[in-house]
Amino acid sequence: MRDPDILVIGGGPAGMSAALEAARSGLAVELVEQRESLGGAIYRQPIEGVQVIPQSAGARGRWAALSQAFSKAAIPVRFGSVFLGVDGHGYVLVENRQNGLVECLSPRAVVLATGAVEHVHPRPGWQFAGVSTAGGLQVMMKETGTAPRGSVLLAGSGPLLIAVAAQMARLGNPPLAIVESGDPYRRIMPGLSMLGFPKLLAEALGYLKDIHLHRIPWLRGSRLVRIERQGERFSAVVRAGDGSQSTFVCDRIGLHDGIRPNDYGLPQASSEAAAGPVILRAGDCREALGAIAAEADGRRAGRLAIQGVAASAADDIGKIDRQRRAQALLARLFAPVDDRSALDELADDTLLCRCEGKTVGDLRNLCQRVDSLTGREVKHNGRFAMGACQGRFCAANTAALMARFKPEAPASSAADLTGRRWPVRPVSIGALVRAASRDNDTQ
Amino acid sequence: MQTRTPSTVIVVGSGIVGAATAYFLAKRGVAVQLLDATAPAAEATGAADGAVSVASKRPGPMMQAALAGVELYRNLAKAGLFADVFKSRSTFIVASSDEECSVLTSHADALAGAGVRVERLGAAMLRERFPALSSNAMMAVEVHDEGHAIGYQIVHRLLTASGTIVARRTPVEGLVRASGGSRVVAVATPQGNLQADAVVIAAGNGSGKLLGLEQILTPRKGQLLITERVPPLNAAMAGSIMSGRYLLSKGSQPAGNGKPARGLGLVIDPLSTGQFLIGGTREDHGDRQTNDIDAVSRILADAVALVPELAAVRLLRSFAGVRTAVTDGLPLVGRIPGLENAYVATGFEGDGICLGPITGKVMSELVCGESPCIDIAPFNPARFDGLGVAA
Ligand SMILES: Cc1cc2nc3c(=O)[nH]c(=O)nc-3n(C[C@H](O)[C@H](O)[C@H](O)COP(=O)(O)OP(=O)(O)OC[C@H]3O[C@@H](n4cnc5c(N)ncnc54)[C@H](O)[C@@H]3O)c2cc1C
Ligand SMILES: Cc1cc2nc3c(=O)[nH]c(=O)nc-3n(C[C@H](O)[C@H](O)[C@H](O)COP(=O)(O)OP(=O)(O)OC[C@H]3O[C@@H](n4cnc5c(N)ncnc54)[C@H](O)[C@@H]3O)c2cc1C
Repeated sequence: MRDPDILVIGGGPAGMSAALEAARSGLAVELVEQRESLGGAIYRQPIEGVQVIPQSAGARGRWAALSQAFSKAAIPVRFGSVFLGVDGHGYVLVENRQNGLVECLSPRAVVLATGAVEHVHPRPGWQFAGVSTAGGLQVMMKETGTAPRGSVLLAGSGPLLIAVAAQMARLGNPPLAIVESGDPYRRIMPGLSMLGFPKLLAEALGYLKDIHLHRIPWLRGSRLVRIERQGERFSAVVRAGDGSQSTFVCDRIGLHDGIRPNDYGLPQASSEAAAGPVILRAGDCREALGAIAAEADGRRAGRLAIQGVAASAADDIGKIDRQRRAQALLARLFAPVDDRSALDELADDTLLCRCEGKTVGDLRNLCQRVDSLTGREVKHNGRFAMGACQGRFCAANTAALMARFKPEAPASSAADLTGRRWPVRPVSIGALVRAASRDNDTQ
Repeated sequence: MQTRTPSTVIVVGSGIVGAATAYFLAKRGVAVQLLDATAPAAEATGAADGAVSVASKRPGPMMQAALAGVELYRNLAKAGLFADVFKSRSTFIVASSDEECSVLTSHADALAGAGVRVERLGAAMLRERFPALSSNAMMAVEVHDEGHAIGYQIVHRLLTASGTIVARRTPVEGLVRASGGSRVVAVATPQGNLQADAVVIAAGNGSGKLLGLEQILTPRKGQLLITERVPPLNAAMAGSIMSGRYLLSKGSQPAGNGKPARGLGLVIDPLSTGQFLIGGTREDHGDRQTNDIDAVSRILADAVALVPELAAVRLLRSFAGVRTAVTDGLPLVGRIPGLENAYVATGFEGDGICLGPITGKVMSELVCGESPCIDIAPFNPARFDGLGVAA
């Protein structure tokens, strides 16, 4: 099989539109998606035989257009294939989980469109099984068409929480409550500015209507401060803005504190072909701005991939800029009412790294030394970002806490902790041994 | 030689050698300034395997040094300093071909002759002692009383125990001499000149430039791999495994096709976390940013050939570091010729974790005018002429 000229990683809106745009040039384009279907986080397709859960009209329309154009273009997709990285000789490494082989490809350009991940702050008890991300619950609903069972508490911050609550309500199991650290109703100015984004506003109002109809308490200005086990269930302690505490007993908890680029371990974007392909990023993994921006950004990257030059169309750039303003507005709207960061009040025994069982106190001890440790030293000596999740859960939180514990030290980023080495996902040694290394083939 | 304990010493480089030097000097009450261009264990020490071992050594000064190095690790573990960071274990050198068997047999004789406790294991014994090993293994030699240490943990321990604070992001650009003299009075840094009574250069691959020895000190890259935790398989391994081919491949082998020479020597080390550290390559260049699938898949193919169950284990990360090699294969340890109060300790290639602590001890002795506890005459930097110090 001939190597594609352009390889796109990720079958969400960014990856699909990048592939479509690049394919117009007549070059050979292929798309790599770890799952068995396209759509990404937003247009996640139900598993076979399951009824699709209704999305907003706007989203439905966008998906219909994108998926039709994509099937018309007949772009080959490698499903069940995980991008592992770009190696030192420029090979793009893809683990084909269907045949258990690591494939080494040599495209001219690779577009990384791996989307976003949810950000979750550590909280005492967040590691218990039964506590997941709110987005995880949403994905489950999209795939299975049913709501999570039992009584569910949603907590954290941001519009995703109300979207998940509304979807749960529509599927017949509204959550106990939504604990929201911000209070959009009190943010008059950003609230008014939302009028400039009627589609987003209409979507939000639609969710709020469902929440109101099902009498789901939306506890604004409140924080989930602690989760405790209570037999098979959880008791969740929530602190309101006035300092009063209440306890919810529930079966499941969905946490969400925003989204951030899923760029863990990804190779840096590069234009000069030092060794190997030009590397581009598109969509939420470049800048988490939501689905509309992701699609426009994918087109931008697709064009860049074929021309190797900045050839962004003005209307795509305009779209991306507009979504950036919208996201900034949403961030102000949902800004926590309590100025103190949730990170400031974490007790020392709160788990920070779930893989290696390292706590906030372990990090505090390292940071309290007279000298200022670098991110890499904190990783080595505290084992943060060293576990099986490769830092997805703790790197960003660790970097943020380091800055709080030692503000005078040079800031460390999540990438300082995770590094940029492949594999970006753990990969079976057997599959690597069977890697059809081109180096071996050609010599 | 008069004893003259300097009251202040600057150590350049906070890899394992610089950190150990600072530790032993601080223990004597010397005020040490430890400077690093980036941060502790930022270079080879932070990306090494960590065999504390004589198993691959041939009789000679390096074997003598390594024996002293291993003994110091054991003593410091007993004393508590390295208690939980030195893993005591055997090394098993495994032969899987007739050629390897014969090399290994004579190698074992040499080790035994030098007083190393070794045990020959035939195929049947081996199976019993090491069930995880493939049936391709024909024989093995167990080298007793060895161990493993992780470079950055040792550095952290040495710095913490001695209360040494590293001046990070402080690259030394040259040595400053008293006018016309052979005394160094300061080191030059972008932050200005820093003064001390004596200077020790332990700057790994940064040393060549400081000493004018770029032709003699050369970078040698190594790629390493780390797996997820697999406690049962890990516990089933009585020690580390070294492929008998390692004995044939120490030093780089020339490769065809105009590619930089690279050698492959397989070592599988079961770590106390339950993970495995698997290495590695020897490549004659200094780019440590990348790992390549060619090297990684070859290393892993060798590993699976010896321990088949590894095929079902997941690789978590690859990484790479750059050793500092010397053209004649021996490190540089001693006073810098022409300078009365400046010293160098570098060029340990693939042995600096093993030799780091003992070298630190030796440097503290030298700097304080005592005779060193091991014979370092073969490592005398004066063997290279034209050693010109950047000033
Ligand atoms: C939980 C969650 C809920 C969200 N809800 C909303 C919402 O309600 N409204 C909204 O506008 N936006 C929402 N977003 C944001 C929205 O998903 C994104 O803006 C949009 O999907 C981004 O498109 P994308 O193509 O950049 O990434 P994605 O749609 O996330 O697509 C990335 C694709 O890459 C694949 N992938 C990732 N890594 C690899 C790899 N190593 N190898 C192979 N494939 C890989 C993934 O399986 C996925 O299919 C949500 C995001 C998350 C994480
Ligand atoms: C892949 C690999 C595997 C290995 N396996 C083993 C093994 O199993 N057993 C073993 O014993 N050894 C092993 N080694 C070798 C061992 O890691 C090294 O010999 C040892 O770490 C060298 O330590 P060092 O302190 O001399 O140098 P480094 O660790 O390289 O430290 C030098 C320090 O000096 C600093 N520096 C450089 N220039 C300047 C300057 N101008 N000013 C200030 N600071 C400067 C650097 O930032 C660095 O921190 C391995 C090495 C590698 C790369």
